[in-house]
Amino acid sequence: MLEARNLTKRYDGAPAPSLDRLDLNVPAGEVFCLLGPNGAGKTTTVNLFLNFIDPTEGHALVCGIDAAADPLGARAKLAYIPETVMLYGALTGLENLRYFTEVSGATAAPDKLLSLLLTAGLTEEAAMRPVRGYSKGMRQKVGVAIALARNAQALVLDEPTSGLDPLAANEFAALIERLRREGMAVLMVTHDLFLAKQCGTRIGIMAKGKLASVFGADDVDHPGLERAYLDLFIAEKAA
Amino acid sequence: MSDLAIARIADNARTPPRAHVIRAIAAKEWLEMRRDRRLVALFAFAALLMLAALAFGASENARISRERAAAAEADRALWTGQSDKNPHAAAHFGQYAFKPTSPLSLADPGVDPYVGSAVWLEAHKQNETQFRAARDGGVAGRLGSLSLAFILQTIAPLIVLLTGFASFSGERETGTLRQLLSLGARPDDLLAGKALALFSASVALLAPAFLGACVAVALLTDPSKLSLADQFVRLGALTAGYAVYLAGFVFLALGVSALAKNSRAALVTLLAFWLANSFLAPRLATDIARSLAPTPTAQEFRAAIAKDKARTFGHDETHPAYIAFRDEVLKTYGVSRVQDLPVSFRGLTLRKDDENGYAIFDRHFGALQAAFDRQDALRAATGFLFPLLALQPFSMAFAGSDSRAQFDFASAAEAHRRDIQNQVSDNIIHFQHDDSYAAGSELWKRIASFSYSAPAAAFPFAHSAQTIVALIGWLAVTCAFAFFAARRLRPL
Repeated sequence: MLEARNLTKRYDGAPAPSLDRLDLNVPAGEVFCLLGPNGAGKTTTVNLFLNFIDPTEGHALVCGIDAAADPLGARAKLAYIPETVMLYGALTGLENLRYFTEVSGATAAPDKLLSLLLTAGLTEEAAMRPVRGYSKGMRQKVGVAIALARNAQALVLDEPTSGLDPLAANEFAALIERLRREGMAVLMVTHDLFLAKQCGTRIGIMAKGKLASVFGADDVDHPGLERAYLDLFIAEKAA
Repeated sequence: MSDLAIARIADNARTPPRAHVIRAIAAKEWLEMRRDRRLVALFAFAALLMLAALAFGASENARISRERAAAAEADRALWTGQSDKNPHAAAHFGQYAFKPTSPLSLADPGVDPYVGSAVWLEAHKQNETQFRAARDGGVAGRLGSLSLAFILQTIAPLIVLLTGFASFSGERETGTLRQLLSLGARPDDLLAGKALALFSASVALLAPAFLGACVAVALLTDPSKLSLADQFVRLGALTAGYAVYLAGFVFLALGVSALAKNSRAALVTLLAFWLANSFLAPRLATDIARSLAPTPTAQEFRAAIAKDKARTFGHDETHPAYIAFRDEVLKTYGVSRVQDLPVSFRGLTLRKDDENGYAIFDRHFGALQAAFDRQDALRAATGFLFPLLALQPFSMAFAGSDSRAQFDFASAAEAHRRDIQNQVSDNIIHFQHDDSYAAGSELWKRIASFSYSAPAAAFPFAHSAQTIVALIGWLAVTCAFAFFAARRLRPL
């Protein structure tokens, strides 16, 4: 579903690539969590799958479609939830959902869209008022509803629970798990080791643009994951 | 099946055509604009301003029409009330030809306040129009004149730019652009949808002006003198011209917004263009046009005519041309003395002198108008880049208040003057037997009063090809620029 082949990104003038020959495959029904310190190349990976930037080398494939060669085709198969889902403040949650759904090329009746918002955890009252008063957690729920409405086969999340309270983060994790069970391929970039352990089926740790190590979520306990992460972090600092 | 699977909907949803996506984008933009109270207040203020300008223009138009009709009536009474006198003395007594106001000049007064409203028709001379409102109005009058055309040409594009400058840059700053592009939204569709919404807003801006103008034109047009249908054709053309003008600003705002690094940069760029288009370009273009196609000053113009007229004999019986004409007439009639002619020689000389003058006037006034035409063409040449240079002459032409309409009126007035001269000279030729001859009110009444009908709508169409092409060029250039910018749209 989501595949990186020798994916490399070097920004103009940068001494080293931000992403260095990444090989990664996230099949359907898997949540791959990417951990790593700031500047490790996680967000660059996300931007390459969305073709917000062009790769220097290699390919980012979404359901077999090269994101650089056919960005619209790749994006049609892909849902994206950023750190903070940005919405139109003057529009209600339902209006936002309808707009983003229609712009993506899908159509849905208002009652169907409302049911998606309810499924994502928003109340009906909240869905009907302007989003300018929404909390971050509520915005993230609208983001999930947008992803659901599009019936995307792959989902890319960029630190989606950053800044959420523990309850909201837990609800969000439950939603991701449900999407995984539906057969969605999920690539989640996060700093949150707890969330990675909770949601991930595989966990990768990135450093200096490379995927330094990959664990099966069941193969490592939380202290072990934390230790591996810190070891890499310390090694990077020392270097 | 899980509740999530039930809730998901797109499996069975057909992919809608792009028109549906564009409509959705336009509807959302429109909804946002409607909910923005500042924007609604701005549009309402602009609408009030336009209606006020229209009401003022209509009131002025009606007042001027009344005054000119009364003046024309009084002048006719003076003409027909002349005592018995020699017809040539009556020709020198003269009469006025008043220019009827075009109903649409209530929206765009054009050159009317600067070129005068009446021509003094007298013997031997083709006079320029006089009674210039701009000269009589003083400084306060000049600063206070806020026409509908000025609002639509200057303030309306500013409102369009203020509404549209953050269309893309704002979305980039808030992060919604990233969200939209991640969904597979096509930049072209985003541009088309936003352009549709912004253009709809522009149409909403034009609508009160158009409807108000419709009512005013219907009330002010005298169907016995002007075709109402013709006025509405002109109004339709004006509306289309202004719509094209504003549509260009819609695309310009969107294109700059798509390329700009942030909304502030987009706003500064667009305001700089607005200033250049509204104030700098007209001034520069006028100066350049004047230097490339110079026109004489009023004094030079009159001096040049006087110089040519000096070659004709006028009342100078010692002038070589007079003597040559006398000899030719005597030869034609086969007599050796003027006293033996069967017709009045004085009448013949007056007619001949008039005919000599007609050619001189036609040459000088024609050259002057040709110079004005060249200046207009030069000004409009860059109208596809600075559209006010194309819109202003287009607007004046269809409002019937441009220099060509003025020339048409002046030509009609001159034709009437010549008709008076011919009738007077003919009367002298056939009836004057000695210097004591005097004609009476019968002749004064037989000479018809000046009657002028503005040309039909085909007239401005025939003379506006360049400005129409420039306006379409402006729309094409901005449209191409906006699509070019949209295709370079990046969320980061």
